Order: sequence, then C-alpha cells, then structure tokens
Amino acid sequence: MVIWLALVILMPKEELYYKLEETLHSQEIALNEEVIDEGLFGLSLKNVSVYVKGINVANIEEVNLFTILFYSYIEVKGLRIDDSLKTMVPQETQKAVLEHSVMAPFSVSVEAEGSFGTMDGKIDLNERKVHLDFNESKNIAMLKPQLKKNEKGWVYETSF
Amino acid sequence: MRRDGSMKHLFKPHIVKWLWMFLIVLLVIKVLWFVVLVLWLPASGFNYAQEKGGKALYYRVKLSPNKAPAPTIKKKEPQVVAGSIKDIKLLAIYHASDVTVVTVEHKRKTKVLGRGDVISGFMLESAGHNYATFNKNEKMYKVPLLVNTKGSTGIRSHKPSVQSTPTTKVEGEVVDAGDHKIIDKSLISHYAKNIDDIYKNIGIKEIKKGKSLEGFSISFIRKGSPFAKLGLKRGDTIKSINGQKIDSYNAAFGVYKDIGNIENLSLVIQRGKEEMELEYEVN
Repeated sequence: MVIWLALVILMPKEELYYKLEETLHSQEIALNEEVIDEGLFGLSLKNVSVYVKGINVANIEEVNLFTILFYSYIEVKGLRIDDSLKTMVPQETQKAVLEHSVMAPFSVSVEAEGSFGTMDGKIDLNERKVHLDFNESKNIAMLKPQLKKNEKGWVYETSF
Repeated sequence: MRRDGSMKHLFKPHIVKWLWMFLIVLLVIKVLWFVVLVLWLPASGFNYAQEKGGKALYYRVKLSPNKAPAPTIKKKEPQVVAGSIKDIKLLAIYHASDVTVVTVEHKRKTKVLGRGDVISGFMLESAGHNYATFNKNEKMYKVPLLVNTKGSTGIRSHKPSVQSTPTTKVEGEVVDAGDHKIIDKSLISHYAKNIDDIYKNIGIKEIKKGKSLEGFSISFIRKGSPFAKLGLKRGDTIKSINGQKIDSYNAAFGVYKDIGNIENLSLVIQRGKEEMELEYEVN
C-alpha cells in the first residue's frame, strides 16, 4: 500500500506528459496547453490546442489525466473542432472519457456526449479495433458515410 | 527519570524502525523515478510554434494592356458595361462534355445556339449548370439561366457517362477564357464542403527532403475532372497559391480554409524545369 501510494504520488507526472507529447510529436500531432496543473494522482491541462501536421484541428478547454496505476482515465471537456472541419466531423464534444482498468488490461472504454448526441464504445488494444455506438445520435450526417446501421443505431468500427 | 521514560515511550524501537523503513521506501521510489526521469523523460514539453503564415504579401494586378486591370471588375461587366447582353435571356441549357447547346430569347425571338454560334455579336463560349458564357470583343459575359416558375428551368442534362463522378453530383464548370480560366463558384463550394471528392479526382503527395516536408506534387489527376480542366498535370509541383508558398500542411490548409472567399486564384507550379503561373477567376 505504502509502495503503491509512493509510486503514484511521487510519479513525475508532468515529465511523463512531456514524454506523451514527444511520442505524439513523432506522429505529427502536437498539443499546446496554456496551463499544466500537477495533482497527487494526475494532471490537469487547460486550454489545449491540438495540431495535426501543423494544422490547428481542435481546441480543448480542459483535459484531466488521472491514474492510480490499476485504474486510469482521461477526461476531455469542451472539445471544439475547427470550423473548417465541421463538414467532416461533429464540431462540439462537451465531454469524453476514456477509461482503463487492470481488470480488462487490453480494453479502453470510451464515453462521450456532444453535438452528435451520446456515444459509447471500446478500443480493443489486443485486436487493435475500435467499436463506437452512437446512441441518441443527433447531428451525425457528416459521419454517416463511415458508419454502419444496426438495430441499436449507428455504429463506427475501424482497426488501427 | 520521567523525561527518560517519556522519551522511551515516544521512540519505541519498532516505530522508529517503521519510520526508517517508510523513509527508505520513499527515498528508493523517489530515486527510481529520478533515474527514470533522467534517463528517459524529457525535461520540457514540446510546444508547436504556430505559423502565422496566413496572408500572402501578394495581390494580383493584371498589367496586360487594353484590358480591365482586375478580374473583380470584369465580373461586373455583363451588367454594367455591355447593355445589349441584357437583351439575351437564357432559357435552357444542354451541356455535356462534348456538346453545349443553349436556348436563348433575343428581342422576343427564341434561338437555339451551339458553341461558337453568334447572337447580336455575342459568341457562345461555354455553359455551366445555370449559366452560359458569351464572348464579345475578347470580353467574357456570363448570362444566368432564367428561372422558369412553371416547371423545369431547362434541359440541363449532364450525360451520364463513364467520367461522371460516382459520388456526389458536382455542379459548375471550368471555362477557358484565353489568358485565364473561369471557375464556377459552385464548384469551389462543392469541393470546400466535400473534401473526399477532391481526393477522388486528384492525388497529392508530399515532397520530402530527409524528414522535412518541402512541398506537394500531383500524383494523379482524373481525366475530365474539373482539376484536369484547371490545366494541372500529373507530376506538377505546387509552388504557391495566391502568393502563399505551399511548403507545409498548415499553408495548404490555410488556402483550403479561405477557398470559399476568394475571387481570384493564382497557382504557381513547376512542370519539369519550367515554372508556370496559372490564373483563374472565380465567378
């Protein structure tokens, strides 16, 4: 218990985040944040601009990264896609949460709500697949070419 | 004696031992994280310095003699300068890749014109989905299609051919006006809203020197597509658009973002060893 607590609390979270930034940078993705707040169990980023290949594709009001090692989550609040991309993807995401637990080590669950309605699904790290169910779907016309319809509603599936 | 007793009570050997153990664990973990930090973790983050590239230090001024200087003025000419063009009313259009036929009304008489036919000194040049272009004294005139409230606005039949795009119907034309080409605004609007349709008609590939991006070139172009009509060819390197050097995704995206608002387009391309400037008017 003491070792676990010490590991989590003494973890250099800001530097680990810099490592994440470095990894993303190699994929030509950059995160510019105005504020980084380090807490006991995580990190909070404020006013984050997301760049892909040098293009500012989105802005996020707040990102919270939380970990107690056996359970972690990333919470994204107030994600807004750039106006020029609104014909391709839903522009507003009020909240999105990605969760990972050691109980299901190869799975990341996803939940989000925004201008598209609500969405949940999972990322299978083992099979490298993404499955997202759009429930109460609203403005998803621009996504429909990429979606499949089943009895529950619209589904997005891809592999990586 | 009492003070000695209380000291013994405070520092019981097993508590002291646990305290030491706790501190040692903390220290070991701190040292471990420190080693990880020094060996593998960066000391500072990566912040992308946004290019402020936006506006080009470039304005298109047409210096060729005896011609209107700016295409924006040219755009208004049909209404302002040439009064007689107003006498021509466009009733119907049949426009396909190989044939253009329009029906016009002139002085209460209906006439069918093919490409190259002349009416009142105006020669039919081409047609779009809702307009026809006429040429008189090297000036282009655009006549809009009359909206027929009784029913169909015209024939406007685009022949279903092999070349027709299998996805969204693209409206608008690229018309050759001699020294420059006229692009129908609806064509621009379509591609601005349907980015996927761009990649079905034109392939763009990166030009890299080592790891750094130097620019973009055209890897394929669909025959008969509006992009082919722009005069672009496979292998062309796009050097600049409206004076904006296209050497990064940000620069290219900046142009894409503003594409709906432009009235003129100047494309500098490299074809083989030759650098060429292609001029367009968006109408």
